[in-house]
Order: sequence, then C-alpha cells, then structure tokens
Amino acid sequence: MTRASIFSFLATALPALPSQVTFNRDVAPIIFEYCAPCHRPGEAAPFSLLSYEDARKRASQMATVTESRYMPPWLPEPGYGNFAGERRLSARQIETIRKWAEQRAVEEDVSDRPPDPAFTEGWQFGPPDLILKMPHAYTLAAGGSDVFRNFVIPIPVTVTHYVKAIEIRPGNKRIVHHANLLIDRTGLTRHLEGKDQEPGFPGMDLKVESEIFDPDGYFLFWKPGTSSYVEPDGMAWRLDNGTDLVLNMHLQPSGKQEVIQASVGLYFSRNPPTKFPMLIQLEHDNALDIPAGKKDFVITDDFELPLDVDVLGVYPHAHYLGKELEGFATLPDGTRRWLIRIPQWKFNWQAVYRYTQPLFLPKGTILSMRYVYDNSAENVSNPNQPPQRVRAGNRSTDEMGHLWVQVLPRGPQDQRMLLQESWMRQRLKKEPGDFTAHYNLAALLKGQGKIEEAIEEFRRALQIEPADATALNSLGVALASEGKVDEAITQFRRALERRADYVNARYNLANVLASQEQFDEAVPNYREVLKANPHDEDARQRLAAVLQALGNTRASRGAMEEAVLYYSQSLELQPDADIYNNLGSAYARMGKLAEAVVQFEKALTLDPQHAAARRNLALAKGQLGRRQ
Amino acid sequence: MLWRLALLILAASLSAETLPFDLAGRPVNPFAAPGAKAIVFVFVRTDCPISNRYAPEIRRLDAKFSPRGVAFWLVYPDPNEPVEAIRRHIHDYGYPATALRDPEHSLVKQAEVQVTPEAAVFAPNGNLLYHGRIDDRYVDFGKARPAPTTHDLELALGAVLAGKPAPNKATRAVGCFLSDLR
Repeated sequence: MTRASIFSFLATALPALPSQVTFNRDVAPIIFEYCAPCHRPGEAAPFSLLSYEDARKRASQMATVTESRYMPPWLPEPGYGNFAGERRLSARQIETIRKWAEQRAVEEDVSDRPPDPAFTEGWQFGPPDLILKMPHAYTLAAGGSDVFRNFVIPIPVTVTHYVKAIEIRPGNKRIVHHANLLIDRTGLTRHLEGKDQEPGFPGMDLKVESEIFDPDGYFLFWKPGTSSYVEPDGMAWRLDNGTDLVLNMHLQPSGKQEVIQASVGLYFSRNPPTKFPMLIQLEHDNALDIPAGKKDFVITDDFELPLDVDVLGVYPHAHYLGKELEGFATLPDGTRRWLIRIPQWKFNWQAVYRYTQPLFLPKGTILSMRYVYDNSAENVSNPNQPPQRVRAGNRSTDEMGHLWVQVLPRGPQDQRMLLQESWMRQRLKKEPGDFTAHYNLAALLKGQGKIEEAIEEFRRALQIEPADATALNSLGVALASEGKVDEAITQFRRALERRADYVNARYNLANVLASQEQFDEAVPNYREVLKANPHDEDARQRLAAVLQALGNTRASRGAMEEAVLYYSQSLELQPDADIYNNLGSAYARMGKLAEAVVQFEKALTLDPQHAAARRNLALAKGQLGRRQ
Repeated sequence: MLWRLALLILAASLSAETLPFDLAGRPVNPFAAPGAKAIVFVFVRTDCPISNRYAPEIRRLDAKFSPRGVAFWLVYPDPNEPVEAIRRHIHDYGYPATALRDPEHSLVKQAEVQVTPEAAVFAPNGNLLYHGRIDDRYVDFGKARPAPTTHDLELALGAVLAGKPAPNKATRAVGCFLSDLR
C-alpha cells in the first residue's frame, strides 16, 4: 500500500478547511487535547509531539495513523455507550491533520498558537497517603515477545484503611502497556513469586480468589494517558493488614534492556464504604475451543439481573484472536441497550470504560456478551503460525472472552449476596461442572445459615476437584458447625495433605481439636499457625488457653513437673494472673515454696485484686517462715 | 580496464558533494569496502519506536553476516538529530555497526527506502539487490505479529552470499516516514 492510497478517501460533507492549514492555528489544538496526554516528555508514548519541530518530522505519519484510527487509541464504536474520557478524533480533525501534512506541515503565526496544555507533574492527586513499591526491580530483555508478569506488593498497614483512589506509576512508562491491580486477601499469590528466579511470576490474566461475602467490585486499571480515577463517595475499598496488592503488567520490549520497578500510590478516605458495587463477569471459557483456521468463532453468555442496578463501567477482555466484542442489555420490555461495541479489538489497547452517567437497568434485564474470534492465518496477531486449536487459558497463546460489568445494586443495604447467589445459580445452569460456582454457592448458603445445603454444594464442588484444599477446608468448617466434628477433622487433614502451609486449615484443625479437648494434638497445630503468622493474637490466646488446660489436667493428675512446663509455655505466650497463680500452686505442691512465692507475686503484679493469689502468697510465705 | 569501469559506476551512484558523513563529520564512501561481498544499510532513527524495537534483530544479523564478508552500516537520515544523541543511541541499543549520517538523503534515494527501519543490500559494484523490511513482524502501524514469519533481509543476504538473487527484490517496510524529515 502506498501513502497515496491512504489519502485517497476524502470526507465529503465537512465544512471547508482553511485553504492553508497551519500548525499553530489548526493542528496544535488537536495535538494538545488528544495526543499530548501521552506524547510529551516523560510520558508513555515513545516520542513527544508538543513542539512544532516534534510534530513536523512526523506529519505524514500522524496523517496515516489518525486516518486509520490507530491513534489516538480508542476502541469503542461511537453510539454504543457514552464513556468518560473518550479520545476519538472527528472526521474534520483527521482531515485537518491530513491537509496540514500534505501542505508541507507549516508552522505559521506563533500568535495563533494555544498555550501549552497544563499537566500535573508527579502524583496526580498530590502526595499519596501511602506509597508502595515493587520489592524488587524486574529486568525486561531487549527483544522478543511481550511479557506478562505479576508482582506481589505487600502492604505495611496495621489498621484497616479505606482506599478512594490509586495511582500506578510504572517507573518506566515506555515499556508498560497496561497494568491491573488486584487485591489479594488470601495471601496465596505471594507463594507464586520468584519461582523462576526472577521477581514476580508469569501470566496474562490473574485470578485471585475473592471473599465471597465481600467481593472486591472495583476496576483498578492503568494505561498510559488515562487520568487517575477517584471512586465515587461512599465507594472506597477496604485495605486490611495482611492484604497483598498484585500488579499485573503487560510489558513491551523496547529494543534495549529495561529495568522496571513500579510504585503504587494509595489515597485514603476517612469513611468506610456505604455503597457496594460488584463486578459481574460474563464469560464462556468452556465454549472457547477454536479450531485452527476458524475465522468467525462466536461465544456468547447471558446473565439475568435479579435486582435493579446501575452499571458504572465495563472491561471487555480477549487475547490476540479477539475480533469483534459486543456487550448489551435486553430490558424486560425487549428493548436493547448497548453496553459497548468494539468492532476491531486490539489487545494492546484494552481498557476499562466508565460511563459518563450510570446506566440504570431494571430487575429482569438480561446482560449479554457476544465475542467473535479469528483464528485464521490472516489474523496477523495470531500467536500461532500456522494456526493451532486454541482454548481458554492465561498464556498469550491461549484465548479469553470476558466482559466484566461493574454494577451498583439499588436497594437500602448491601445487595451483593443476592446478586452473587443468582449469578452462581445461572452459571451452574450453563455449566453444571463449574467448580467455582458450586463452591461459591455453598459458601453463600452457609452464610445464610443453610448449612446442610451448603455441605451438599461443597461436596459437589469436591466431586469436580477432589484435591482442592480451599474447598476441603470450607467443607470442614461447615461440618464442624453442624457438630460433625470427626468428619470435619478428616477434611482439614485432607486439606493439609494437599497444602501443608495452608494456615487457615491448620488453624481450623487446631480449634476443632481443642474443642474436643484433644489438647496435645492441638498444640503443634497452633504452633505452626503462629510460626506462619507471629502476630496472630487470636491464635496466640487460644494456644495459651490450651496450654493452660493441659497444665490443669496434668496438675489434677498430680503430674506437677509437666504442669509446670505447660503453664510456663502458656505464660511465654501471654502473661496471665490466673496462670501465674496456677503455676505458683504447682510449685507449692512440689514443695518449691520460693518459686511459688515468685509466681504468686507476679500474679498480683498483673492483678492486685487476685484474691486466690493473695491467699496463696500468704500461705506460701507462712510455710516458708515455718520452715526457716 | 575493469577497475576503471567499476569506478565509473561508483561515480554515477554517489557524487562527492552528497556523500554521507561519519559521526565525526567526515564524508565517507561506504561502497569503497575492499573485499566486501555485500554492503547493507539499515536506516534508523533515534526516536522511532519501531526502529528501536528492531535493535536486537539488527545486532543478530550483523553478528551473523559481518564475519561472512558483509559490510553493515547504520544510517541516520534525520538531519536534525544531534550527533551526541546518535552516539548515545548507538551505546544504549548496543549497535555494533558503524554509523553514517545521511542528511541530504543521498543514500535514502539510492537505496529507495521510505521509512525507518528499512534495509538496503548492495552488491560491491553499487547494484541495489534488495530494499525493504527487515522482516514481516510489522504489518502496519499497530499491527504486529507476535514473531516474524519471513526474515526478508536475512533471506536476501543468504541468497546474495550464495551468488543468487534475493527472493524478493523489494518489500514494503513499516515505520516512520523518511519524507517527514527535512
């Protein structure tokens, strides 16, 4: 294709452009508004377009890429959803650039030039309340394919905060194509870090288990040129001690080796959330099985809303075979409302799209997605040449078809459980073998106190994935709450066979053993929990209590040496007046009166009102006096 | 006599006043490469992202073919690129090849190239044997294959060294337009 042919199309119905198009009067205003957010020094685009000189030496390139709408990158088709921050040139603007390039890209009168666009340098909302950084820098090779990597960022908070905005600063913007931040409340991803001797772990899409009763319903997304987003009032998200943030990044080699160490700035809100959005995921991964060479492969998915919602945003996602992505809503009266339409999907320019106005959808509306894939050799982005059969997965050679819809349920309080349950039941209708849906449904039922139904659902989940440690643990918890203790212990032990470092299962096992007064077996399990989480106060107190109980049983049997040992271990965990008193009594019964006096005094230091200790101290001192 | 004929061809292809320069500003005749079996020009810019992404591939081809008698030249055709920027670019991207500046675009015209990055292969006698893309990774702006399927420059050089014509004499390269530079 020659450049002449690119220019051969002329829009016809446009008001006439000036006979001479100039940079300062005609082109600079377009560049400043649409291009400069990225094309300026220090920003993500590979070159600046701020000055005349910068723009002039790319004039015909600009004409070509705006004509083809490669730039500015904006995937949604106009008229299929009104999105905030739309960056799309009008036909007249494109024609202006084309004519300017054709007329030898002149600068002309400087007095016509608009003032340089004002941009905030550094953090967009001022100094963040908390700045986090990737613990280790990652080195990206000079060449080769794009890299998809995840980095776990531990958060040093001791009390709960509420986050109203985040800002991701990639550190090296030119190689980061986009980034997603995921909230990992399970601590599971940190075990994936560094397995290949480099910081982070690979994977294009990251699945983090969310809390079923408090799912995180936020898009924490960054791409070059987007301004940071502040969650609406009352929609800050919770950040607890022990939460990890996982930064999922698409890195593009630049031709030379690059080092990256991203930072994340967090801005806190004083108020806990009062509104609870949710991310509904339309998908049909099980249907994603695209024959090699297939040109128009379609997947669809539907979800019927069980309540009224406002849709706040969408995040369409496919990999390199995605061609045409559609999301729409069918109202109960049959009218169709478009959520989004992307006629020419480009993986590199994926983004979160937020509506300028929330889109109200009544109960009974059906949300739908329809994605078309091209697995032929003609799709130049096809990662397999020659084409191969492709299924769902998180490598760049696998495919995906997800449409995330952020909805805010209407209603007086938190409506997410209703939404979750309906969602899981609809997923199971579509795919009865859906492990996650069974698992989540079970957890939701358990949350409503329907324990027997929950146990049944957990067992169905485990029929599908018998070795899933999380499900084994959850089944154990459900059984224990029904009083089926022995069965519960069996499930916890199975979970720990699958994953010896599964602290929750270990803790549950210890608690059940302790409740059955199997104290000797409970102790090592509590110790493991504390080894993993030294600051777990609850575990510490429970272990101290179990050790005390062990001391008591030994003491009642007259095994004073052992009793002393258990009491002392308990006191190492936490000082307690009762236990000092018990320890003193044990010493006294062994005839070690001096030691006994010391312990009774310690008890009284902690609790001067401790009557038993006071009496015991007097008795012990009396006996000591008589001895001397 | 043969040598006189060869000189005449050279004179026709590059006149003295439009010779490219080396980074010290001295005119260079890159065709005067005694013993070279082929001469390759790769046109690049310091600020062209597609051109930069090709650096590892250019280095690979240089390492493969230089020992086999191919003279590699990097050519910087932007007259406004400061020489210091070029030196830094060569250092940052680890380019081993010797660099030329072609502010008058005499080599650009002779090599019939349109964009950066684009390559041209000449016979020692100044005959243009191949010009076009390095490989087919880029199909258009924003349209790239995950990996190239045809290594056009490599195929052309392999053929030329084997005494055969390049499989394609010309291909379309994707990159930053040279016509924008002046």
